[in-house]
Amino acid sequence: MKLIRRIDYWLNRRKYDAELAEEMEFHRAQNGPAEWGNATLAREDARAVWIWPWLESVAQDLRYALRNLRRQPGFALIAVLSLGAAIGINTSFFTVFEAVALRPWPITNPARVIKMLEQPQGNSRLDGFSLAEYRYLNENAKTLDGVTAMDQERVKLGFEGFGKTSWATFTSGNYFRVLGVAMQTGRGFIPDEDRLDAPENVAVLSYATWRDHFGSDPAIAGKRIHVDDVSFTVVGVTGEEFTGTSGSDENLWIPLAALQSIRRNAAGTRDYLHQANICCTPVAARLARGVSRSQALAEIEVLDRRFRAEFKLDAARVVLANATILAGHPKRNNLTAAFALMFAAVTLVLLLACANVSNLLIARAAARQHEIQVRRAVGAGRARIVRQLLTEGFVLALGGSALGIALAWKLPAYVFAQVGQGPNVSLTPDTGVMAYAVALAAFACIAFALAPALHGTRPNSGAARLPLRGVLLAAQVAMSVAPLIGAGLMIAGIRHAREHDPGFRIGGVSVISFELPASSYYDQRTREFSAQLTRELDRIPGLGPIGMAFPEPLSHTHWSTAFRFPSEPADTHHEIEFVQVSPGYFDVLGIPILAGRNFETGDASRPVVIVNEAMARWYFEGVNPVGKSIVAGGQSREIVGIARDAYLTYLDSVGPLLFQPFTGAQVPRVLLRANAPGGAAVAPEIAKEIDARTLTQVLPLSANLDEQLAGSRAMAGVAGMLGGLALTLALIGMSGVFAYAVEQRRKEIGIRMALGAAPKQVILLVLAGTARPAMIGLAIGFIATAGVAKILAAYLYGVSAYDPWAYASVALLLVFSGLAAAYMPARRAIAVDPLAALRPE
Amino acid sequence: MGSDKASELLPGTLDLLVLKTLARGRMHGYGIAQHLKSVSDDVLQVGESSLYPALQRLLLNGWVKADWGTSENNRRARYYVLTAAGRKQLGAERSEFDRMMLAIQKVLET
Repeated sequence: MKLIRRIDYWLNRRKYDAELAEEMEFHRAQNGPAEWGNATLAREDARAVWIWPWLESVAQDLRYALRNLRRQPGFALIAVLSLGAAIGINTSFFTVFEAVALRPWPITNPARVIKMLEQPQGNSRLDGFSLAEYRYLNENAKTLDGVTAMDQERVKLGFEGFGKTSWATFTSGNYFRVLGVAMQTGRGFIPDEDRLDAPENVAVLSYATWRDHFGSDPAIAGKRIHVDDVSFTVVGVTGEEFTGTSGSDENLWIPLAALQSIRRNAAGTRDYLHQANICCTPVAARLARGVSRSQALAEIEVLDRRFRAEFKLDAARVVLANATILAGHPKRNNLTAAFALMFAAVTLVLLLACANVSNLLIARAAARQHEIQVRRAVGAGRARIVRQLLTEGFVLALGGSALGIALAWKLPAYVFAQVGQGPNVSLTPDTGVMAYAVALAAFACIAFALAPALHGTRPNSGAARLPLRGVLLAAQVAMSVAPLIGAGLMIAGIRHAREHDPGFRIGGVSVISFELPASSYYDQRTREFSAQLTRELDRIPGLGPIGMAFPEPLSHTHWSTAFRFPSEPADTHHEIEFVQVSPGYFDVLGIPILAGRNFETGDASRPVVIVNEAMARWYFEGVNPVGKSIVAGGQSREIVGIARDAYLTYLDSVGPLLFQPFTGAQVPRVLLRANAPGGAAVAPEIAKEIDARTLTQVLPLSANLDEQLAGSRAMAGVAGMLGGLALTLALIGMSGVFAYAVEQRRKEIGIRMALGAAPKQVILLVLAGTARPAMIGLAIGFIATAGVAKILAAYLYGVSAYDPWAYASVALLLVFSGLAAAYMPARRAIAVDPLAALRPE
Repeated sequence: MGSDKASELLPGTLDLLVLKTLARGRMHGYGIAQHLKSVSDDVLQVGESSLYPALQRLLLNGWVKADWGTSENNRRARYYVLTAAGRKQLGAERSEFDRMMLAIQKVLET
């Protein structure tokens, strides 16, 4: 009640002040000049009644709390560290979430800019527009002050290493004007530079690219750069804040029309730029002055209907979204799910840390029972003592959040650097993030400090053995189970994958890959390169078997085709993966041909295929398929052999696989024995001789295996980190509970020892009280984990999500941790001196 | 100069005296001071620098309520009234004070 009156006073202090002044003025008028004293001072004194004593008592509480915590630095350190770790992880997560989902694009007045998306009938995905429709909308929409299109393509600027590319954003000529992008130097595009009939090779560099690769050249505008070996003129550099709109790297911007000079050979370029039925380019627009979003939507819907009717396209639903990275992102659903999962995990860690500190505080409250009773006896109200204990919690939470913010400064960037990719946005916590951290601290403070404070100050708490600490302990154990089992399962999966026989030779095989300028290699040129490479390699003596393949084993590239049997109707489609291989492929990898024959020279022009066992089993059910035919790519192809099953495409399963003769239409990967003398060394030279611009890379085939496992390894790392943190917290918590049990039963232990109890019995006594809640927690944790373990299945190779070993080892780990946690308190229990314990205080 | 005799009172006694004064009925600050002065034969001369903090304290604790009215000489003045909680508090402080006085007297008489 008093607090409410105080707040009321604070809110209306102006009115109250005026009233006080008026009333005192009245007093003086009645008294006459003889009685005048220092009026202002008197008024200050009267006013101070409302605020000062309270502030003073808060300061007193703070001082007391600090003194108390200083007396037990170990406790304070553990509490601040665990809270800091938990708040830091939560804040880091929020930093990323804020940057991706909440932060608007770094442009002028982003609130007036909208992302435009459409969802064609029967399609669950939101997508962009065709460029033809973008132009139609840009010309006709009256409610929009310009519509702009942006699409990303990989390009080479010349400084990237092997296999690395830069990202070019192909934009409409009005892009920089519509979005309102601040420029570091030079200018953005003008509409005339994006004319399809007269493309101009101009580019705008991103600030980071300009700084890192062009030495921050202030006179860069007007200079020439090479994009995929095509010469472009730089017209400007964007400001440092503008990192693009996609959340991934955007190194430079190029007018859409110039796509014709970079991808001049790809047949799709023309269609992409002109056809109304080729979607989907991300599109954004700026609302015209005074136009609301719903007015704009109404007009766009009408225009969209008209356009789609004209080109006989299915109707679509138009959606307008905020100008943020995540809104309408094609991977939005996956990302949202990932965010939700992460949010659950980090919240779990925060709860765990709170439960942990809570447990420590309960143990401390037990030890401070005496002090609390004394304070009550001298007249402190319960509310007052609770406030004091909460203040201690608040100090801890504040320390934790300071540590947390410091952590959030570094952690996201560090984690993304480890994983090797991350969103291309600034990840420095801003005021919103800091507010989030402080809110978390406040929540944590109430969550962990209130219950122990109320518990510790209960009028007769000395005698009570409340189940609170048991509940907390069970919760802690339960919460640490899930991440630990997750980590255990993934580690088991990785080990299984590494030790498992994949059915082909991985060790001792090298993969040579080549990179050629994309703008000049297409169709015939690629065939010539492949053919020449094959000829040159064949000429080198003693290389052993050489396999040409595309894609190579365990590549991230998967190709599939549709086939049917000649007896089936023409519209039958059986989806199947395929690889193109040369005759040497099976030799190098040690995959035996079980029936029929291997490929031979000349097969490239014949309609023949080899199938694997899985394909034979699946489609021919035990009948020998050699000599039979399938129809694929509109051509009847004869099956000439069966290859033994091998995990060539995926680590976790062998599906039906079709081998086609290598035609050379793709730049091949060359497979050869690593110990073949000189092979790996001469390949780059041969390639350079064919085309001096060729980049070559030689890697062991096992690198592909490692890359396949990288996702699992990262997941195992994250789960292991969270699990380790959870385990540490649980350990601290358990240790606190044991210490509490010993403290509470000091007298009882003393009596038992005096009556001749052996140390072993005493230790069992201490353990027994905590074993039950720990077991209950373990059971709950197992059930909950088994419920969600299916999510992990995608990251496990050959290991069930219910692998009994993972579960058993986590149970064992927790039991041992529990025993370890009990060690110190148990030592203290058997060290209890019966005489000291029984002596009256 | 307001001769602030009230500051020499025992701590908390001023609050008690104000509460007691208000028990007689609605009164403004100046009236309370005058009342204390006349009833105590000019011994208790409460100045504004102690009276108004005391009144604010009583307001904060919810023992008195204040509202505006017109004084005897037709000026706007703030009047104070005892609340139910204030009446209870008066009783409690009164008996505590009696107990204290008795104790002091006992000490002085020995």
